[in-house]
Amino acid sequence: MRESKSAKLNQLQEDNHQNVHLSPSKLAKLFDPDASWDKDQLGDVLHWIRQVVGLICGLLWGSIPLVGGIWIILFLAISSGIVYGYYAMILKVDEEDFGGHAALLQEGLFASLTLFLLAWILVYSLAHF
Amino acid sequence: MATAIPLFASFKYADSLTVVGISFCTALVCEAISWILIYRTSSYKSLKSSIDKASKKLETMKTDNPSSKLAIKKSKTKKIDRVESSLKESSRDLSLFKFKSGAVVALVLFVVFGLLNSLFEGKVVAKLPFHPITIVRKMSHRGLKGDDSTDCSMAFLYLLCSISIRTNLQKFLGFSPPRGAAGAGGLFPMPDPKTN
Repeated sequence: MRESKSAKLNQLQEDNHQNVHLSPSKLAKLFDPDASWDKDQLGDVLHWIRQVVGLICGLLWGSIPLVGGIWIILFLAISSGIVYGYYAMILKVDEEDFGGHAALLQEGLFASLTLFLLAWILVYSLAHF
Repeated sequence: MATAIPLFASFKYADSLTVVGISFCTALVCEAISWILIYRTSSYKSLKSSIDKASKKLETMKTDNPSSKLAIKKSKTKKIDRVESSLKESSRDLSLFKFKSGAVVALVLFVVFGLLNSLFEGKVVAKLPFHPITIVRKMSHRGLKGDDSTDCSMAFLYLLCSISIRTNLQKFLGFSPPRGAAGAGGLFPMPDPKTN
């Protein structure tokens, strides 16, 4: 009876210990090449990476300012490079398991392009006129 | 608040902030309406769940039986076909379900666009840091006088706001269509048209 109670207490403590480490473990998963990824999970992470890169580039391009259509091409190249580098070199996932390079690279692409353009246009218009 | 108005008035293109603000509020209202009419209903939840299950099952079956293998059992192929047709049917039902409820959201968007058009017709609301290509210029220079292609009209800015804000808002709130559904994702994933 005492042994089963102490076993239960240990299990409870272990569960609490795990719960406390849920957030750091989720963060660690983002950089863990051994972590297993669901298609939806990886797609979501790549989507948000694109959005953050789009927002930062838009704010930066608009502040400097960088002018010309060539900077849109450059943004697309940088953004795609970062996404590719993340899933191929940091996570080291097999892209065939997730629909190939095209499927992974197009996650959040259009939304990030429009977000980038919006940020770029707004900062440029407001800061330089 | 009183100090904010003169601050914004000093910007030549302060109207752009108005367009973005109205766009953001419209996106919130549209998602709220969509949640009331679509996302909280049991029909939507069960359709979404069946699409998720079917697409995951299909993935597993295709991974276990890659097309490169020549000797695929007929029964396995039939099973895959059955799951695929079930997935297509569920996707179609989902689209139809959303379409019926999307009319209200479409009306809201129509009214907001009309309002913005009446407020900003003929006005340059922003300056483009690039010269747009001809197809884009038709939208970006819509209703504006002069030849300066870097002048930006309300319509183009509203389009950018709509796509970026609503797509990300849907994603953030978890209202994006399931990846397994037909027409979801692709190279140009637009905000879910049936709810917008």
